[in-house]
Amino acid sequence: MVKGALTRSESADQERVPLVARLSRGALLKGSVAVVGALAGAAVGGAELAASASSGGSAATDREILTYGLLMERLQAAFYAAALAGGRLTGEARQFAQVVGAEEQAHVKFLTAALGSSAGASPRFSFGDSATDPAKFIATAISLEETGLGVYNGQAVNLTPKTLAAAARVVSVEARHAAWARALAGKDPAPVAVDVPITVAQAKQTFKPYIVQ
Amino acid sequence: MTNSDSISLKVDDFDVDGAVREAFERMPQHTRSGFLGRTVAAGAAALGAVAVWPALASAKSDPGDITILNFALSLEYLQASFYTEAEQIGALRGALAHQANVVGTHERAHVKAFKQLLGSAAIKEPAFDFHGVTENPDAFRSTAVAFEDLATAAYKEQAPLIKSRSYLAGALAIHSVEARHAAWIRRLAGFLPAAHAFDEPLTDAKVVHIVNSTHFVTLKDPTTSMEAKPRFTG
Repeated sequence: MVKGALTRSESADQERVPLVARLSRGALLKGSVAVVGALAGAAVGGAELAASASSGGSAATDREILTYGLLMERLQAAFYAAALAGGRLTGEARQFAQVVGAEEQAHVKFLTAALGSSAGASPRFSFGDSATDPAKFIATAISLEETGLGVYNGQAVNLTPKTLAAAARVVSVEARHAAWARALAGKDPAPVAVDVPITVAQAKQTFKPYIVQ
Repeated sequence: MTNSDSISLKVDDFDVDGAVREAFERMPQHTRSGFLGRTVAAGAAALGAVAVWPALASAKSDPGDITILNFALSLEYLQASFYTEAEQIGALRGALAHQANVVGTHERAHVKAFKQLLGSAAIKEPAFDFHGVTENPDAFRSTAVAFEDLATAAYKEQAPLIKSRSYLAGALAIHSVEARHAAWIRRLAGFLPAAHAFDEPLTDAKVVHIVNSTHFVTLKDPTTSMEAKPRFTG
């Protein structure tokens, strides 16, 4: 695991997200100027852009981002397995857990193969009734899927083009999962015109309660 | 990164539920090749001039990026026009009408964003004829499924080709919204919102081929328009 790149990405994220979040909450849905802002630079942070106008990336950065992706996928796969093992999901929620759970397992397998020996062992997870209580299950699923998607979207610009091409096959599936979970909660599956990236620091806070130390 | 699944993509593989085919085979057939085939697939030939245009975006942009942004714009034009027309006709009800309203708002925002980013390098909006699919809820639903899965696959193919970090960030943020749209309408159409563990990309040539096969794009090129005008022979 290479520390440097992720730390740098996180510090860029700190500047990035409040700006984009502010744009998206209000004007992104309808406004064109704000969307242009997101497209033209706000989404990657002005300072970071100035330093690196072109995407580049490195094998070390790729590995670091994929390693974090693997953690997210392992956590999600464990969450759906726990939810199904709890036996209290019914109807479309149960179907959602089965379908999405199997896809997260496929993502774990894919990333593990890609990382090879550097994949490492999975931490242990504990979800309590966040997974097994049907009402909490949907809310937790939305949180985990939105966070996973937001991290992928935030970090993807740091990948080499080849790895980006591979990762993008996973990212839009995570977006579908997030949309489906939102639909199950009666929310709009696509709330804004442009998705907002999430920092790794924010994601760590979201995932922390479920990772057994 | 190795792709252990190693899926070779054909349009038929992409069109897993037959939604594209089902929606598009109903379309009246015309023989004239579509606008997108000439301007987008032609790529450099059609857009080669943009690099010298003094637009804000093109002043520093990689010519390849401009081509990709225009390709994205063409898909957003198509989608925005489709949802706007469906909403104006008013044949949709309930959850479907709400989907068309919200998603249409997003697609129109995407159009405006790309147009402002591209400035004078932006391709012009073609004329569309949706041949009645916006007037019928079932036809609307299957066409929307096809459009959204297509847009997701198109952005996925193009994203790694984008040189500019800022354009890439924007494209990725739209890519995942298109995937949400796809999941949303698939659920309303009775398809699994996320039918596969991996979404596959689709080349611009294949995307253009599919769009052209719908004959939804009707704009004549300038030469054709001139020829269609009665000559003044006085």
